[in-house]
Amino acid sequence: MKFQTIIVGGGLAGLTAGLALQKKGVSCAIISSGENALHFSSGTFSGDCPEEIVPLFEEAHITLKGDPSKDSWRLTPSGSMQKVRLAFEDITLYSSQKISASNVLIANPEGFIDFPTSFIADGLSQQGISCKVKTFSLPCLKTLRESPSEMRSVGIAKKLDGCIEEVAERLRGLLEGEDLLILPQVFGLASPEPVRALRTALPVEIAFLGTMPPSVPGIRVQLQLKKAFERAGGTFLMGDTAVSAEIADGTVRLIRTKNLDSHILTADNYILASGTFFSKGLSSSMEKISEPLFGLDIDCPSERTEWYSEDFFAPQPYMAAGVVTDKDFHPLKDGAPISNLYAVGSILAGEKNAGMALTSTFKVIKKIAL
Amino acid sequence: MSKSNEFDVIVIGGGITGAGTARDCAMRGLKVLLIERHDIATGATGRNHGLLHSGARYAVTDQESATECIEENMILRRIASHCVDETDGFFITLPEDDLAYQAKFVEACRTAGIRADIIDPEEARRLEPSVNPDIIGAVRVPDGSVDPFRLCAANMLDAKLHGARVLVHTEVTEIIKEGDTVLGVRTLDHVSGENGEWYAPVTVNAGGIWGHGIAEKAGVQVGMFPAKGALLIFAHRVNNIVINRCRKPANADILVPGDTVCVIGTTSTRVPYEECDDMKVTPEEVDLLLTEGAKLAPSLATTRILRAYAGVRPLVSADNDPTGRNISRGIVCLDHEERDSLKGFVTITGGKLMTYRLMAEKATDVVCRKLGLERKCQTAVTPLPGSELGGFRETIKKLWTMPATTYQKATAFRAGSSARDIEKGVGLVCECEEVSSGEVDYAIRNLDVHSLTDLRRRTRVGMGTCQGELCACRAAGMLAAAHGCAERARTDLRSFMNERWKGNRPIAWGDTLRECEFTNWIYKHVLGL
Repeated sequence: MKFQTIIVGGGLAGLTAGLALQKKGVSCAIISSGENALHFSSGTFSGDCPEEIVPLFEEAHITLKGDPSKDSWRLTPSGSMQKVRLAFEDITLYSSQKISASNVLIANPEGFIDFPTSFIADGLSQQGISCKVKTFSLPCLKTLRESPSEMRSVGIAKKLDGCIEEVAERLRGLLEGEDLLILPQVFGLASPEPVRALRTALPVEIAFLGTMPPSVPGIRVQLQLKKAFERAGGTFLMGDTAVSAEIADGTVRLIRTKNLDSHILTADNYILASGTFFSKGLSSSMEKISEPLFGLDIDCPSERTEWYSEDFFAPQPYMAAGVVTDKDFHPLKDGAPISNLYAVGSILAGEKNAGMALTSTFKVIKKIAL
Repeated sequence: MSKSNEFDVIVIGGGITGAGTARDCAMRGLKVLLIERHDIATGATGRNHGLLHSGARYAVTDQESATECIEENMILRRIASHCVDETDGFFITLPEDDLAYQAKFVEACRTAGIRADIIDPEEARRLEPSVNPDIIGAVRVPDGSVDPFRLCAANMLDAKLHGARVLVHTEVTEIIKEGDTVLGVRTLDHVSGENGEWYAPVTVNAGGIWGHGIAEKAGVQVGMFPAKGALLIFAHRVNNIVINRCRKPANADILVPGDTVCVIGTTSTRVPYEECDDMKVTPEEVDLLLTEGAKLAPSLATTRILRAYAGVRPLVSADNDPTGRNISRGIVCLDHEERDSLKGFVTITGGKLMTYRLMAEKATDVVCRKLGLERKCQTAVTPLPGSELGGFRETIKKLWTMPATTYQKATAFRAGSSARDIEKGVGLVCECEEVSSGEVDYAIRNLDVHSLTDLRRRTRVGMGTCQGELCACRAAGMLAAAHGCAERARTDLRSFMNERWKGNRPIAWGDTLRECEFTNWIYKHVLGL
């Protein structure tokens, strides 16, 4: 099968590249194993983001809040304030480290332990904001509660999205004149409509805060991007994995995937957007960190003991490991660039955040679709 | 009426020896105070194989220890059935080992009263498919596995049920003396910051390797030999029968299945006392454990490793043996009145997890003698709380008329008959180990839980494949609610994640590194911790 561009990786960088290129008339295929960081997204992008991301996401019916080149603040589920640039519409952004509310209600489905309400309440009270935590229950959650392993974000969203009016009614009964309602991100799995409907139905500002994974808004955005890519004519190879590639004379000749073993995939250009260890863009053994598909040059400390910082919360050198490229994002193999291969997103060596992933992606888009 | 800070006996140390001694003393009617600097089972008690020794390992080199082991092995099967997994064990001979050692080994086992059956290598491979297929000999012995956290918690709980008072996170800062007599101890409560003074005619030093420092506080010397042992935990249970090498005890020659995992160990190196509080596993130790471990069960070479950890054996020094392998694992019970003319002070040390009950009995005998009492030890015949209904299967049958659910099985496996008092709760806190919010609640209410690490030792939360990735935050939320302090719970969560990372770091590659990256992502970026 022949495409103009083949993209390895269906996460934020791969889908953004695919959608933008397809819109510019470049036929693309995305090979996606299905596991990517969007499913565990905080719903926010930090770091310098390219301007083009906002209109591109609009085409996928995804509204991004915030300013791509200016920091805003979000309230995290641990009660702290964190700098971000852009956010999915569920999230509330603030222009300073201080939340503009004086009286807050945190409401949580009864028995849902993936939302640390006490941390949020504590964070708010440290800002001098008075805060109550209440739980709510609905008949539709009864079956979930009977099987404890089902009380997770996605399972709850599936139920609650179907009865938003009832949820609104129940929440209205809990409100006592607060000016901010904080809810876990357990709404809007298939579309942002339930999030919008709750905001319309209730006479109070609502901030949806992240839960333990999976991320409901992250899954939704990934789906929306995939759909928009397919609507634009792209080919999304779902649940497939690129297993080998042939390189000759400094160019990629073909890619083989797990599911299409007898068919080879060829293209004019290839984009590697396969992410880090979690999504298997990078792999590691006792001896070394490597890029498994093309065997690209990797920037990381050579000794295993140097991969880690003792403090779990300090920057970890292994997390900055990645492929090395020339200035045009062509990755190096044995010191020489591969002319029709580009690397974008978190597989690149260095500090990683959504802004950097998107910036590299848009630079490569411009190179491919001149 | 006696004052609230006066007791018959003070036991210092909340490891298995201290917990067992507190239980024995309390069962013999004494008014007991137990003081532990950290949490229960923080030292060597929680940092070993969890092997229910048959004694076979010591049969050739140390008949006394071997005999003690097999006797205690049979006792623990009765009194601590909910902590024990009766797996049996193999002593295998590899082509590079001397098969002649096997005959000597079997004879020594039988002399010590340990059942030891030579079995055909073919039969051994059938019974334990993970064993190295190249084995040229195998002996079956009554080894098993024991959960040291559970065992320690059950002893502590029973001591309390018999009236003992337990102070955890409380450090002995000074031994109160008057002339040649120990009168009691001064303490600092690390949670409240309060100082305390406690008095008793007898104080028992059961501080393990830290007993050296406690003895110094009392002005006497107990020469110890801190021998570090490093171990690796694998992410699933590769073997169902304990696998040992049939040779003189050496590095990494025991593979023990326990709960959902298996453990290979150990190494043995002398370490300075200063390092005992913060043991780190080196890359060389990891290499050695993996290389030697794969000789017992070749699939270990490709099995995901969960974490690395190390403990310090509280050996009592005898000679200049640089590894400590040749020091007796025997029990040392010192009445300092006889040894150092210091009245009211007893040290119980040496020994091992397997013989904790016997150590406790010996220490309690001395305590009673010093108090002029004659009371019979009951600990060998009285089941621990949780073991009253017998083993795991009998317990389940007696507790529930309907077939048990997986959740009920998991709870009964951990808590034994106490599972009857544990509510199901609404949420599942830990998927890896199937720990319900009810079980977490129960532990917080009944088992002296002050932190996530304490909770982990009671319930296995954070011990499974994900190493706290999801459960730690959930449990921290529950602790915050129970203790009414979110700030403390958040600090605790940070230190818990660092403690998990400490054990992951030496073996963080492959899937383990993937999981670590994911965990890092969740805690730093999603939760914003």
